[in-house]
Amino acid sequence: MNILVVLAVVAAFGLLRFGRVSLLVWAGAWWVGIYVLLRFGFTAPIPASVVSLYMGIVSIAILAYVSSSQERRDEISRPLVRFMTDKRYTAFLAATVVAIPALAAANVYVQMNVPLQPPLFSRTVHPASPSEITVHDKKIDLDAGENPFRHLEASSPTEFRTHVENGRKVYYRNCVFCHGDNLAGNGMFVHGLDPIPTNFTDKGTLPMLRETFLFWRIAKGGPGLPEEGGPWDTAMPAWEKFLKEEEMWEAILFLYDSTGQRPRAKEEAAK
Amino acid sequence: MTSRVMRAAAISSGCLAFLIALLCAVLTGSARAAGPNMGTEAQRESGKKLYLTYCSQCHGDAGDGEGYAASRLYPRPRNFTTGKFKVRTTPNGALPTHEDLVNIIKRGMPYTSMPAWPSLSDGQLSDLAYFITTFSPDFSDPEKAPKTVSLPGAPKSTKESIEQGKKLYAETGCDGCHGTLGRGDGPSAPTLVDDWGHPIRPADLTQRWTFRGGSSREDIFRTLSTGLNGTPMPSFLDALKDEERWAMTDFIDSLSESHDPGYTDLVVARHVLDPIDLTKGTAYFESARVARFPIIGQITEPVREFHPPTTSVTVQAIYDTESIALLVRWHDMSAQKTGKNGPSLPVPPEEEEGAPAPAAAGGAQAVTDPFAEEQPAPAAQASEFSDAVSIQVPSQVPTGARKPYFIFGDAQNSVDLWFFDLARPDPVQFTGRGSGNIAPNDTGDLTGVASYDQGEWSVIFKRPLRATSGAPFSPGQFMPIAFSVWDGLSRERGNRRGLTVWYSLYVEPETVPSAVGPMVKTALLILAIELAVIGWVRWRYGSRTRGEFGGKPTQPAATRA
Repeated sequence: MNILVVLAVVAAFGLLRFGRVSLLVWAGAWWVGIYVLLRFGFTAPIPASVVSLYMGIVSIAILAYVSSSQERRDEISRPLVRFMTDKRYTAFLAATVVAIPALAAANVYVQMNVPLQPPLFSRTVHPASPSEITVHDKKIDLDAGENPFRHLEASSPTEFRTHVENGRKVYYRNCVFCHGDNLAGNGMFVHGLDPIPTNFTDKGTLPMLRETFLFWRIAKGGPGLPEEGGPWDTAMPAWEKFLKEEEMWEAILFLYDSTGQRPRAKEEAAK
Repeated sequence: MTSRVMRAAAISSGCLAFLIALLCAVLTGSARAAGPNMGTEAQRESGKKLYLTYCSQCHGDAGDGEGYAASRLYPRPRNFTTGKFKVRTTPNGALPTHEDLVNIIKRGMPYTSMPAWPSLSDGQLSDLAYFITTFSPDFSDPEKAPKTVSLPGAPKSTKESIEQGKKLYAETGCDGCHGTLGRGDGPSAPTLVDDWGHPIRPADLTQRWTFRGGSSREDIFRTLSTGLNGTPMPSFLDALKDEERWAMTDFIDSLSESHDPGYTDLVVARHVLDPIDLTKGTAYFESARVARFPIIGQITEPVREFHPPTTSVTVQAIYDTESIALLVRWHDMSAQKTGKNGPSLPVPPEEEEGAPAPAAAGGAQAVTDPFAEEQPAPAAQASEFSDAVSIQVPSQVPTGARKPYFIFGDAQNSVDLWFFDLARPDPVQFTGRGSGNIAPNDTGDLTGVASYDQGEWSVIFKRPLRATSGAPFSPGQFMPIAFSVWDGLSRERGNRRGLTVWYSLYVEPETVPSAVGPMVKTALLILAIELAVIGWVRWRYGSRTRGEFGGKPTQPAATRA
């Protein structure tokens, strides 16, 4: 929730409450207030079609309310009738009569001149991995498996550093062109790629993934993705065509080491 | 009173003298500091740590430009041990200033593997720049301390200055490398090498966004004034006056149509009334919008191309009642119209490594100084591989989001490749089911024409809207489309090429519906409703003057009627 917007709407309602305004103003205020809340009150934007659905319901509710008794009907219609009949308002009424069709026509123009948009495919960025893959004739268990070099971090730090350094070499000779020198997904070819390469420095990416998941994405690349991942669009190579299995595990060590992040731990077996 | 005034005067003059003395001290101090500017031990130490983390993989632990990634990079990473730096504010051949080094690390070099480093703080950039000075002994030599050249501010660019610049451009011989139209296609272009013997390409002056030293007028003026050390690009500081260099800047500035490449993801095919006639060439396409797509190296399938010389293609499309035609254009410094090419020609894996060697390909003499006296005429360049281009569309109109794999399709979803080997008169068609499975599928539907003029290839493909095989093109429809370009001189063929990912071709309906009709209809409808409502209200309640309405509840109209 966007607290500032919510507070502003509440404050506006408070002012109206003390201002003793007419029912017509209240009806308008509820409509506008709820629209503002739906449109700007939520941090994650609500799709326009959903907002218009809600506003339709709100409109019906307000109409039902104001027409529910003779008194309310009168209170609503009185200012409207005065606006349309009182000579004082003739000029204003004329302006309104012209303005509404003009706005509607302008809206039609905008709707008909929306810039051409190629069809959009909303791909799943990190689809579920299979539980087992075969790389270079070797079966790799992605659920129960681990990075074969990870245990060295505690048992043999020097050996571990060697593997990290090997991973760095693999990265800068292969991955750098798309994922970039500082691992931020902004390599020299990024302007020609869609989808864009993963940004490894993003705090919400590497720490959320297991090393075996990365191994699957690296070894099988774009073509190894399921349909929802859009395997036909991504330029991520199936690195098993270029790299040995150890090199891929070492590159994964480097990704975590260089960005100072930790891989996601293995899920506890469901009880 | 007077004595106080005098005392005040004495004090203030004393102060003045002190200030002058201080200023002198500062000036002499800074004059001394204009000697070697290599920072403190601590700064260099901090810079070294950063260098080993961020730079050494390309520039090497020893700063010699031979890091383990270097063999796949082109242009090659700078060798710091020679003290030769491209982008500087100092005279030709001189060392760069500390600020020059900081700036280039901060900004990076567009369209090379040297990125910008916005993530490094000013202090870190400065430390890095200090550490880089330790690689060449020249930096500690007081005799070689860099002095900046005078780079006066920019006068306004005028028609006259551009005209004068154009004349100077030809007189000075810029066209020898950069070409008459600035497309980087001068006769010497394919023969150029840098000071280390690596082939080097002159800048395409019509695509300013690729300029290594930046694309502003100030950047262009600085490059003209100081040259690019280690490359054949000389300095014109002595040869041309400030105004002349500014005039040349204005001319170069005028060569690019825009500041940015303006890459898009959509090409719109426009309907034309006359039947498309290939013999009329590119003139037909004038009404069609130009779409520019970025070309990147094919680095997904073996054998990879890490540095395609083509960085973008422009595409225009038209269609008549029968056919659709696409015009693809790109800049190429040397047309290869002999030899052969093909989408599935094999490439030995060792060609992935190392910079392309066009000079070696043709056996021509490499040229480091294009302005040298008695320069041997550059030998005609020839490669065993010709230039080629292809358009790729799905074999069937995709249903839903599913498309064929963007690199020559896949087993389930094939692509049609419209392939034009530019050594041959006509394009041919292939069916692609992945890089390893490309078969000829020549139905004779595809025709085309290609021409090369002043550094630019213009290739037209034409196919019936509904061909005997392949997906039909229908008005109002989007079709996935992708492109590949092979540069024969760089020995590109098969998988070693530049390509695009999937973009879209939209076949614009013959008549785009006008918005005026619906606008008027909507407005009239709403106006009619409004008038009806107001009329009804007035009929029921009557037109009133002020005050008559009072505060009383409205009486039901029926009693008044």
